[in-house]
Amino acid sequence: MTPITKVLVANRGEIAIRICRTLRTMGIPSVVVFSEADRGAPHTKAGDEAVLLGAAEPAQSYLNVDRILGAARATGASAIHPGYGFVAENAAFARACAAAGVTFIGPSPESMERLGSKTKAREAAIRLKVPVVPGVEDVPDAARARQEADRIGYPVLLKAASGGGGRGMRRVAKAEEMDGAFESGRREAEASFGDGRLLLEKLVHPARHIEVQILADGKDAIAFGERECSLQRRYQKIVEESPSSAVTPKTRAKLEEAAITLARDARYSGAGTVEFLLGPDGAFYFLEVNTRLQVEHPVTEARFGLDLVRAQIEIAAGGKLPKRPEPKGHAIEVRLNAEDPYRGFIPQSGPISLLAWPPGEGIRVDAGIEEGHPVHAHYDSLLAKVIAYGKDRSEARERLIQALRALALLGIRTNQGFLIDLLASEAFATGETYTHTVESSSWPPPDQVPDEALLAAALALEAPRAALGGRRDADRWSPWRLLGAWGRA
Amino acid sequence: MGTRVSRKVTFRWEGHAIEGSIETRGNRATWTRDAEALDAEIVRDGAWVEIRTTAGASRAAVKAGPKEVWVSLCGRTYVLERAHRTSSGSAAATSNDEIRAPMTGKVVRVTAAAGDQVKEDDLLLTIEAMKMEFKLTAPEDARIEEILCADGDRVELGQLLVRLAPLVEPAKGAS
Repeated sequence: MTPITKVLVANRGEIAIRICRTLRTMGIPSVVVFSEADRGAPHTKAGDEAVLLGAAEPAQSYLNVDRILGAARATGASAIHPGYGFVAENAAFARACAAAGVTFIGPSPESMERLGSKTKAREAAIRLKVPVVPGVEDVPDAARARQEADRIGYPVLLKAASGGGGRGMRRVAKAEEMDGAFESGRREAEASFGDGRLLLEKLVHPARHIEVQILADGKDAIAFGERECSLQRRYQKIVEESPSSAVTPKTRAKLEEAAITLARDARYSGAGTVEFLLGPDGAFYFLEVNTRLQVEHPVTEARFGLDLVRAQIEIAAGGKLPKRPEPKGHAIEVRLNAEDPYRGFIPQSGPISLLAWPPGEGIRVDAGIEEGHPVHAHYDSLLAKVIAYGKDRSEARERLIQALRALALLGIRTNQGFLIDLLASEAFATGETYTHTVESSSWPPPDQVPDEALLAAALALEAPRAALGGRRDADRWSPWRLLGAWGRA
Repeated sequence: MGTRVSRKVTFRWEGHAIEGSIETRGNRATWTRDAEALDAEIVRDGAWVEIRTTAGASRAAVKAGPKEVWVSLCGRTYVLERAHRTSSGSAAATSNDEIRAPMTGKVVRVTAAAGDQVKEDDLLLTIEAMKMEFKLTAPEDARIEEILCADGDRVELGQLLVRLAPLVEPAKGAS
């Protein structure tokens, strides 16, 4: 194995910054890449070197294999960390890396193809006697989809054959909805992954989304417990936690065993996540494998005291699998997104005029944004992840709510207030979390503006700055300020 | 202490007006709305305003722009429009006879055509941003007067996309 002497991070935003942080602690020089839209963006300052890839459109920059490899060559990077999304699950990219003599920090292209395609992974699961949701792969058209759905029984789900994140996914409750759902699902899959093929499966209801974190070295695999990611909107996760309140030790052992079986069979190497649906009867069904680092990996890191990015790099360099420590406590992550939860979660873009992160014990923030920098419509709406760790679920939940109440972000609308309501809800407090929980409940916006907020706004407009004990802006790093908004109001 | 200053302030929030007055003297301020007064000691620190009352203290972060004042308080963000503008709503507001882009993004497909008669909730066009699709539908029964965008166009927040003419309906009889 070639030693890893310099790593190019082929991504942007919070994950690029997070990977650079680990590289720095390992003493490995890092190279970041950026598009024209991302000039000066926070992640461009996270590495030791930065290389412009091309235009804002991902195809010209973060998805462009030739330009990424060109940047690696120009900077002498010996390895590439793809993060998640973009080229992370692209076997052709992994092959191109190998051909260029660059180490791809992830699984081999072969095991990526065996597990990364939902269709092939499902075939492997059936062969290995890992339970799967009843359904059919590669549905050619809406007519065939209707025919199969009649056989399996409604409701059914249409999903993109390659790629995850809920893109291309459609729930179809009855035959009349099939044509429209099929066409728009195919279009979204085509736009997101360059592959419009769809598969169809039975909808398990009410279901929890449970996933198992694995690390493997091509021979052996270790499972690091589960994460529950049931709370989703538009099929995208917004809250993730570990452990799940619904997984018993017995089920956990079976889930981990299923994940390890799949990983070993594919001679998997690196970090990966095996996703399952957990039904109301305790039965679980294999969904798919994400052959990469997950957005929500910090939840596992918090409980196991482990740096998964470091483990990925060590495995890619031919090192040993880390030991599996005993997990402790409870961790919950929320995704702070640039979207308006009160208007159909419509994405928001624009400049961030103010940003103050929450302090607090057990709080970790992985962010890709900075005050004064714009959020672009070209890319993902994820702004930051806020992760809380506690000795148990209730402490972690309480800390996370406090942290979100202390966070201030102005200039673009986010889902911050909605996340507070979600964490404070009866459903979340009691662990009654299902994939439909968010969309089947109503999450009303605040019905009025508190007088404290109006007073503050009126002062900003009408009172001269010099009055009222004004301090200078240069004071922004004072410890007093960093204490944040821990008000009792 | 310093001179007393009292001013009327009007905001628009989520489509309705909020009127009140702000009075300042020294390091104290009073906000009065609907005959209810909030009197507090104020400490300002850059964009932050700490509001101390007998009931306790809270901190708000404020950024005032030419059109809006943004306030963050206890984890919630309030976008208050400055009402001395002539505007009848935010840039993205859509009235019943025009469809505007609710976000910056790309038009995936225009489903309706000029001259079409559409029913309430009929799909007019699909727009995409941040890799997610959003459907824009007719707010009421109408005729499409004009389509101002095409498949593949990049559109800006608030950009006019479709002009609708309401159908002049005869009074509804029993049906």
